[in-house]
Amino acid sequence: MKAIFYLVQKEFRQIFRDHMMVRIIFLLPLLQLFIFGYAVNNDLKDVRISILDQDNSVESRHLADAFLNSSLFIPGPAAHSPADLDDLIYKGKTDITLWIPNDYSSSLSVGQEAQVGIAVDGKNSNLGGRAGGYAMAIIRQEGQRLRDARMLDNPLLRAKMKEIKTATRFFYNPELVSRTYMVPGIVVLVVTIISGLLTGMAVVRENEIGTLEQLMVTPITSLQLIAGKTIPFMILAFFELAFATVVAVLWFKIPIAGSLWLLTGSSLVYLVVTLGSGILASTVSRTQQQAMFTVWFFLVFGILMSGFFYPIENMPMAMQWLTYLNPLRYFLSIVRGLFLKGITLSDSLPDLIPMALLGIIIFGAAILRFRKTVA
Amino acid sequence: MNDNNGYAVRTDKLTRRFGSFTAVDAIDLAVKPGEIFGFLGANGAGKTTAIRMLCGLLAPTEGEAWVDGLPISSKAEEVKRHIGYMSQKFSLYNDLHVIENLEFYGGVYGLDKAEIRSRSTELLARVGLEDKGRTMTVDLSLGYKQRLALGCSVIHRPNILFLDEPTSGVDPIARRQFWDLIYELADQGTTVFVTTHYMDEAEYCSRVSIMVAGHIEAMGAPEELKTKHDVPDMQQLFITLVNR
Ligand SMILES: Nc1ncnc2c1ncn2[C@@H]1O[C@H](COP(=O)(O)OP(=O)(O)O)[C@@H](O)[C@H]1O
Ligand SMILES: [Mg+2]
Repeated sequence: MKAIFYLVQKEFRQIFRDHMMVRIIFLLPLLQLFIFGYAVNNDLKDVRISILDQDNSVESRHLADAFLNSSLFIPGPAAHSPADLDDLIYKGKTDITLWIPNDYSSSLSVGQEAQVGIAVDGKNSNLGGRAGGYAMAIIRQEGQRLRDARMLDNPLLRAKMKEIKTATRFFYNPELVSRTYMVPGIVVLVVTIISGLLTGMAVVRENEIGTLEQLMVTPITSLQLIAGKTIPFMILAFFELAFATVVAVLWFKIPIAGSLWLLTGSSLVYLVVTLGSGILASTVSRTQQQAMFTVWFFLVFGILMSGFFYPIENMPMAMQWLTYLNPLRYFLSIVRGLFLKGITLSDSLPDLIPMALLGIIIFGAAILRFRKTVA
Repeated sequence: MNDNNGYAVRTDKLTRRFGSFTAVDAIDLAVKPGEIFGFLGANGAGKTTAIRMLCGLLAPTEGEAWVDGLPISSKAEEVKRHIGYMSQKFSLYNDLHVIENLEFYGGVYGLDKAEIRSRSTELLARVGLEDKGRTMTVDLSLGYKQRLALGCSVIHRPNILFLDEPTSGVDPIARRQFWDLIYELADQGTTVFVTTHYMDEAEYCSRVSIMVAGHIEAMGAPEELKTKHDVPDMQQLFITLVNR
């Protein structure tokens, strides 16, 4: 037990004397939070709508007002023809358009179905889909109002919606996931990097300079050695977790709906996975660069296959199955759930249990391999 | 196994193969307590491999060895409490202070706090680093680093000390100083098992063995060996044996 204390103390001394380490620990999370936090769009609001009202009647103005009075839409530039409307979208000057043709009120007055046209910017399907859905809801409401006023059974208003595909696509965040969704993900990322990457490198560094062999002729056991290597990075990871969470809550104003205990507890389970992976990577790497590369390789896969950028539901089926082997997927789901939905322990079990199983497997494998390679 | 109790180190046909290559070939050694035993051989002769087996870092392919009377095959963990080891690429933490290196190894060997304190200060003085306790280890000269490494490997007062080429790469004066430390330890009853390829250092040993390509070609006190092979010095003896 005492030996573990000296191992941990030594590790902390080394960490804090290494400027690179200090930078990774303190600057990296801040950078990630701010780059990703600001690179992403806010939640849906201030969607620009351009309306072409060619009917210019009481009824048509009523419909246009229904849009402009909603909290979502703000007026975009005016248009003089339907072609103008499409043009505005292509030029990125507006996000959504509404075209009310000149037969709008006359169709309604003879009890015929009136048709309007809606076009959304398809540049990002998330925003387009959500804004379009909102527009259709307003149309439905207006149709309901008209029908109720005349005591008719069939709807009087119908909209034709089209999506205009413009070229631009965002590289880093194609779905323009909102910040509230992104920042909790970065919390996960920061914890993963600190615990997985640095542990692996710390073990390999000892191997490189030969101190690992020196430690193996002392009476300490390989389990004590693993404890001495993982405990410091576990402590650091918890520090990072707290730090990133505080930034998320205080700076980005993203409230945590769920319990902090669950966040701490599930992080502990997740750390078993990442610390184990770090040790495992160290057993297959001879140099720090190799260890870094190994961890990085799996990390990139883990991130891509976790739903961090790209929703798992939108992946091909085979990929979706693969994500079940990805511990990051589970922890991301728990942390997002905790922040956004306030999930409880029982809600988190479908993620927590497979994550714990993966942790046991990976850490167990790490211990076995570590024993084999160093002893 | 009683016959092993009298010896600090004894080996019986100790062998290590890497694939089809035999690095250490059935060597028989017997080192008496308190001896300075010189384990000589050219580069690649198998010295490090043999020492790593004796320290429990490497399992023998065949044969057995007893260190402080304990069989390494079954009591490797216990053996570790009886020995000190300074590896060929002697292993210090460059980013720790000199005193922190000593204290760390004291802690790892399970000494208690007061003991770590007193032992570190004592060893610091012994290896001539008393005014460099707070120096960053990386800033030490090679000679000082080697002496610090020696200090770290004896912090727990081992009965037997294994030194693998402890003086390689330093000037003759630093080497002489290092050997003075070895003598001091031996005087206090520590058995020293030291490898070297400097033949002048062989003269400082109570007994030596000379290893060539995995075999022990000669073993005995330096004077005895010189007489037996009719050579003026160890250098000559070594050349004779290698060319045989
Ligand atoms: N882990 C290993 N795998 C394969 N060959 C090895 C290994 N360790 C040492 N050897 C070989 O064994 C021989 C003896 O090496 P070593 O014991 O280091 O010699 P010395 O210490 O006398 O210079 C060398 O030829 C070396 O290449
Ligand atoms: Mg060697």
